[in-house]
Amino acid sequence: MEKRTVDMQIIGDWVEPGTRVLDLGCGQGDLLAYLMQTKGVAAVGVDLDFSRIAACVRRGVSAYQGDMTTLMRAFPERHFDRVICSRTVQELAEPKAVILEALRVGRALTVGFVNHGFWKNRVAMLLGGRKVRNEVYTTAWFESRPANPVTIADFEDFCAALGIRVTHRAHLAGNWRDPCPFLPNLLAGYALYDLTRA
Amino acid sequence: MTDDVEAAPSAPAAARHLAPGDVGLVAPRDYTHAEPFTFRGGQVLPGFSLRYETYGELNAARDNAIVVCHALSGDHHCAGWHSPADRKPGWWNNLIGPGKAVDTRRFFVVCANVLGGCQGSTGPSSLNPATGRPYGAAFPPVTIPDMVRAQRRLLDHLGVAAVHAVIGGSMGGMLALQFAIEYPRLVRRVLAMATTGRESAQAIAFNEVGRQAIMQDPAWNRGDYALGEGPRVGLAIARMMAHITYLSDASMDRKFGRRKRRAAEAEASAFDVQFEVEGYLRHQGQSFINRFDANTYLYITRALDQFDLEEAAGSLESAFAPVEAETLIVGFTSDWLFPPEQNRALALALLRAGKRASYAELATDLGHDSFLLESEELYALVRGFLDRPAAPAA
Repeated sequence: MEKRTVDMQIIGDWVEPGTRVLDLGCGQGDLLAYLMQTKGVAAVGVDLDFSRIAACVRRGVSAYQGDMTTLMRAFPERHFDRVICSRTVQELAEPKAVILEALRVGRALTVGFVNHGFWKNRVAMLLGGRKVRNEVYTTAWFESRPANPVTIADFEDFCAALGIRVTHRAHLAGNWRDPCPFLPNLLAGYALYDLTRA
Repeated sequence: MTDDVEAAPSAPAAARHLAPGDVGLVAPRDYTHAEPFTFRGGQVLPGFSLRYETYGELNAARDNAIVVCHALSGDHHCAGWHSPADRKPGWWNNLIGPGKAVDTRRFFVVCANVLGGCQGSTGPSSLNPATGRPYGAAFPPVTIPDMVRAQRRLLDHLGVAAVHAVIGGSMGGMLALQFAIEYPRLVRRVLAMATTGRESAQAIAFNEVGRQAIMQDPAWNRGDYALGEGPRVGLAIARMMAHITYLSDASMDRKFGRRKRRAAEAEASAFDVQFEVEGYLRHQGQSFINRFDANTYLYITRALDQFDLEEAAGSLESAFAPVEAETLIVGFTSDWLFPPEQNRALALALLRAGKRASYAELATDLGHDSFLLESEELYALVRGFLDRPAAPAA
């Protein structure tokens, strides 16, 4: 199983069939197409890029080109059963605002991110003294989008501080496949959270 | 819409209609509806006719029709050539043809001049059987829903069982949306570009200036003028002004800048044409009066102003409640007549109403007329939207 698809399956397990799902930063619609096929969801994606929207349209995924916060503000409370923010959260200019808005328009919010606290990332920084580059973050600093190197511990603290309830957690080992129940901030390569308002 | 979107150069004039990918020589036809037609406003015409063109073949299931809806000054001739001597092909020839984004090998394309128009369909310049003279101002006020309902009769006549897609830009986008609202079981897809659910005050204001230019011309005579006559000066000025709203500051600057006509021509009077942009607009005005009727301009701009999905249903979401079609809305960054916000609002309302809808926004500097743009990105988007087999409803 590829690293690209493993989180899809976990998210797929959390999604109720036939529900209304919004994907923030939907890219070419891979995740939504998968959820439409496997769970029969009513899917909407949002992304900034014209060609990614065109790719969504081509495969029958509804997608909106524009700013995700502007999009969410156009919807009433709990319009969506679930909002998904998969591998997008670390690139947001205002992650807190987006997460709170997503918890307003969605009954649940799923967040997935690469754990920058993973020991390999720590070692790479400690020994290499350079920006972490690996198979997920392949580019040098000067050709990368701005990113917050968020860790599992950071995210747990954030949820606790804002009173956000965590209903599911999935911490995956460095291979992004095996569960990682022990010392996840150090040993997990990838994290998925399912959140609701307290 | 402007009528000079960069005609493709290349091929010698005599053979252009034979270009691969073009539908080639086409001829308009007339559909006559011989039964009374009641307008939204309650007025009745004993019948009407629509001039239309079709390209491609209706399939056995009769469900491969694509209905193309034209803008204010457009017509039924959206692709191909009427004669090898034509200076230009149909107005959306870049999009429609064998192998093009709207592929006539696969789809049966139908485009009709709107009810109230002046390119062969029944409108204010048609003869009123009661008087033997053009209807003029006695023509019933026409609305976008009236235009759509008239075109539905044409589709029935052609034997169309399901519409694969309705597509249009500007006013054509309004018709496309109205089609999906009025006939949800008929329409499977809607592609509306550079359009709006209701005009802003600015758009209404521009239309009003155009109407005033026409009505203040003494030759308008309260709409009563003989065929081929009428308020030519007023109509030309209306067109000149409207034409500016279809372009953008950047595109006009690129096309004309401050370039001037030669001094000898400019010397006649201080207020003769000095700048190229002036000559261009005067030419646009002059060529428009030879092909367009002033009363139709009044009627159709009024139909545009009156179109208000929100008012009609209480909210945009309620207006879209009946829609079953999958919708794609496309906005253009430099469109200041029906700007991106108004296009976005349509997509958001469709999504709020729980419909399958997408919004794409193309960065261009060509203004409102960008929907006619020769753009591979736009073609790919349109092709991707049209080519996929109809998705099962979510």
